[in-house]
Amino acid sequence: MKLFGGPLSKGKLFKKTPHQSDEMALQITSMADIFMILLVFLLKSYATAIVNVTPTAGMKLPVANAESPELNALKVEISETAVSIESNPVMTLDGFKVAGGEVGSNGVSKTLAEAFEKERKRQLLIAQSNTEVKIDPKVIVVADQRTPYSTIKAVLASAAIHGYTDFKLAVVKRD
Amino acid sequence: MSRHGNQSQDFELNLAPIIDCFTVLVTFLLASSAFISIGLLDAGIAAGGATTPEDKAPPSVQVSVELQPSHKIEIKVTGKANQTFDIVPTNGVWDYDKLTAQLNTLKQKYPDLGGVTLKADENVQYGEVIVGMENIRKSLPAVLLGGF
Repeated sequence: MKLFGGPLSKGKLFKKTPHQSDEMALQITSMADIFMILLVFLLKSYATAIVNVTPTAGMKLPVANAESPELNALKVEISETAVSIESNPVMTLDGFKVAGGEVGSNGVSKTLAEAFEKERKRQLLIAQSNTEVKIDPKVIVVADQRTPYSTIKAVLASAAIHGYTDFKLAVVKRD
Repeated sequence: MSRHGNQSQDFELNLAPIIDCFTVLVTFLLASSAFISIGLLDAGIAAGGATTPEDKAPPSVQVSVELQPSHKIEIKVTGKANQTFDIVPTNGVWDYDKLTAQLNTLKQKYPDLGGVTLKADENVQYGEVIVGMENIRKSLPAVLLGGF
């Protein structure tokens, strides 16, 4: 009776195992699948970023439910240290606050008003030479959520006196 | 003439260059894409000199909401009726539920009421103004910033 199979023959015992190749083929099909999924996801999220607003580092935008209409307008950014128009700093702030004496009795900042006037003149000049360009009252306000309302008021009032009256407040969309 | 050998139908696609392209593309997209989604809130300004279009009758009442520094909200109704409602804070924070309820009541009472002017104290933070604006928009979609 054979319990553990038959006795090993001489041939089986000394049979050479086949020589394995040194070249190893990496299985990259699954990696290609992962990359494809990543690529589709990134392309989709890239395409949905319609509003072209890039807040500066350290800026905390307020969070709210808002729409993302496709819009190209004058961008005004209010950070802790400066007010910038189209990424050009036009007025310095001290901890989000406008320096004393800068804002007049009508709530308008002289420095900011001059900067907005310059932008308006530039728009008018373009509109005169190109009939397709129209004077735009829209302004995208990108402001830090810690900014006091007094600073916001000064910026909006300074913009309004030069015809910028349609404000779009940039917020981080709530999920 | 010798016959051709029977060539195998199995072949492996060379995926290495495709992976290379994907790696470059994914890296570029990761570096350039923003992961926060920016939205825009509409806000006009309520300033002196603003006029109503001739073909549209002005609303019977004007409503303004003021965010005060003590987290109190004051609703002022002017025009056909003159009323003031104070909404006291709940647990030290703005009570937006009561604000929304009060604005809904006003909207029912005055159906021609189209918008609200939102004012805030000088020291109220912009983030709080936005939250206030968001809550007002639940009842009345047109919010103008005031206090100029």
